[in-house]
Amino acid sequence: MSKRIAVCAVAQVKNEPEYAHMRFQNMLLECFEPIMEQTGVTFDMERGIRNIITCSDDVFDARTISDNGVTDVVGAHFRGEEKMAQESINGLGYAMACILSGHDDVILFMGHCKESQGESRRMATNLACDPFYCRPVGMDFQNVDALQAREYMEKSGVTEEHLAKIVVRSRKNAKKNPYARENRQVDEKEVMNSPMYADPLRELHVYPVTDWAYGILLCCEERVKEFTKKPVWLTGYGSCMDRYFIGDRDLCSNFSLKQAAQRAYARAGIKDPRKDVQLFELSDHAAYQLPMWAEGVGIADEGKGGKWIDDGGMEKFNVNLSGGHLNGNPLLLGGAARAIECYYQLSGQAGDRQVKGVKRAVAQAATGGAGQHQAVIVMEA
Amino acid sequence: MAEYWGIKVEDIFNTMQERFRPEGAQGVTASYGYDIAGEGKWKVTVYNGTLAAVERVDGITGCVATMSADGETFVGVNTGKVDATNAFMGGKVKVEGDMGAFGKTGRMFRKFVIAKKEMSTREYIEDMFGTIVSRFKPEEAEDVDASFAYDLGGPDGGTWTVSVKDKKCTIATTIEGNPTVTLEFNDAKDYVDFILGKIDAQTLLAAGKGSAKGDINLIQTKWPVMFEKYKDPMGGAVPEQELLVLKKIISVNQKYATGPVMGRFLKGLKDKKIYGNRCPKCGRIQLPPREMCAECRVRVSEFVEVGPKGEVRYMDVVYYALPDPLTGVARETPYGSIMILLDGCKGNETLPHFIRKDQIEKIEMGWNEKKGTRVRPVWEEKRAGDIWDIKYFEIDE
Repeated sequence: MSKRIAVCAVAQVKNEPEYAHMRFQNMLLECFEPIMEQTGVTFDMERGIRNIITCSDDVFDARTISDNGVTDVVGAHFRGEEKMAQESINGLGYAMACILSGHDDVILFMGHCKESQGESRRMATNLACDPFYCRPVGMDFQNVDALQAREYMEKSGVTEEHLAKIVVRSRKNAKKNPYARENRQVDEKEVMNSPMYADPLRELHVYPVTDWAYGILLCCEERVKEFTKKPVWLTGYGSCMDRYFIGDRDLCSNFSLKQAAQRAYARAGIKDPRKDVQLFELSDHAAYQLPMWAEGVGIADEGKGGKWIDDGGMEKFNVNLSGGHLNGNPLLLGGAARAIECYYQLSGQAGDRQVKGVKRAVAQAATGGAGQHQAVIVMEA
Repeated sequence: MAEYWGIKVEDIFNTMQERFRPEGAQGVTASYGYDIAGEGKWKVTVYNGTLAAVERVDGITGCVATMSADGETFVGVNTGKVDATNAFMGGKVKVEGDMGAFGKTGRMFRKFVIAKKEMSTREYIEDMFGTIVSRFKPEEAEDVDASFAYDLGGPDGGTWTVSVKDKKCTIATTIEGNPTVTLEFNDAKDYVDFILGKIDAQTLLAAGKGSAKGDINLIQTKWPVMFEKYKDPMGGAVPEQELLVLKKIISVNQKYATGPVMGRFLKGLKDKKIYGNRCPKCGRIQLPPREMCAECRVRVSEFVEVGPKGEVRYMDVVYYALPDPLTGVARETPYGSIMILLDGCKGNETLPHFIRKDQIEKIEMGWNEKKGTRVRPVWEEKRAGDIWDIKYFEIDE
């Protein structure tokens, strides 16, 4: 069996529309202290935290080298500190690499994003697009997602009714999650009548602007007992970067997600995700992505997303019981939110939404418009 | 009128009509003044997106902005020989009036491309021999006592003798006595091609187009060391290409929650008070206050009022100002940047700010063993709760 990495503790603030009374440093401090208390970990250079990974984004923070704004509140002075400037789930992959290489025993991984700071998240994601060919023609993640949504819905038989069902379910599930953004409960009709953003994406199909921060303590298998009695194990990670230029991509092929999932499954020894995994947390930035990513991670048949919903696939495979990204996480941090939910489920701390007998869970996250870069993490009890 | 890189100031103005880019002047109606020291004054008028007039004037009136510069800087900026931003920051270019409006002129005109004419064989010959003395490297001519004679035929030809003695180089247009080495070319044009590297010496000699007499070894081995290689002023004579430049401005408005700690500091400034906060474990003060002591990793909650007076610890004088990112306007230079150890703080617990302009020269830095100049803040009349509530620090006398 391959070496495993332990998640020893997690901490988070509640997902909120806006933390008006806190700067992001305050939000991180609220996560930092509980990790220290839960684990008793120190900053001793021999036995404690020697290296810290942070996740943040220069554009959302409106400062370059955005990690410099938080090194003090994550305890990073006088030791290694490295920033994941991409989807947070990759920070877990990076933490695994640090520990598996033998370079570090213990990694503190913290992330923050205040989407409420910016005038428009669409202006922020416009900046992620090619500056000369895509920005001027109005590309942003929402617009690019809509291009993908149209084609996907056509090919996979996903209807407006299906999307409404996903949104209603997401908000209902989130009610059982104390850290979820508190959204108004809606019915199908309201979803289908909400304002059209970029056809076929309506306002309620898209995750709302959210502020959030978290912390995760990871360590090597040999030392796990020092920090927790109930570890959750990271047993596989895989990622794949699809083509950057939007014109080069087959938007509907799930190419990068299939690659990422296969790599993670191979590492974790998963042969059939439908049998070997009991819970899935998928980063549905917009409602159509839930069945699409379900196809990508192999729990829905390709091109059959609509039927999969009708057949009760979301419940059968325990998908997004937390409410998912759709209920509200910052764009950058959806992957950490997914993994943290898997941690709660696998360690039996998921409260009202706890699934009995979960032994293995999968967290997935995407960066870029239309799921350009994909990463998948396998976690086990 | 003086020439710079072969260009006169008036050439820049005379070509404005052909260099005008209507797409860069859409919706613009304005006049711009140019005061070029020792050269004259011009007024350029754009009316409704078209270039209406470029006139030489006695006095500049009715302009939204007036640029002043010397001729060399003006020609340099317009031809790309001088970096415009550096010239502006360094005070070589000044703009009075509406800076933003003047900035638009940059998009209205294509760069002035220096037209390159062909050089004749005669011009090359004159340039090649005319630059020999300036290309001479005396430090390489130790113990050399030699004369190099050139006898070039054809309509552009002539005779020259280059003499090197006592680490000095002289040139004459005659050949006298017995030169150390003599080079003969039947046609001066072949010599030009040879120097420009278009044809090699072996080919010329084999074809009987030239000959070398005397100490050939000396000219082969010593000449290339004693003289810098001749540089072709045509530089390959390919006309300079105007490169496409895509200018983008990135702008996403942001609001920023200060939280209770930073908020307390900024509120303090409004009340003319400066707050730091003290670590409960190590006792050091963080200024401005931060949520936690980065060294002890504990939450910091005790606020302490420090200063407002203090002593200068570090100082520098800035001559090249970056534009203030909040306004886009470059600060007036020079200005004095200081790090102040406010009363109640110790060690490296310093705060950065400015020193009053007229006192820059009087400031002395301090360190642990030496007191720096005592300073006090000068507060803004109307304070908004930001770092500019302190205008600057001045000497506390």
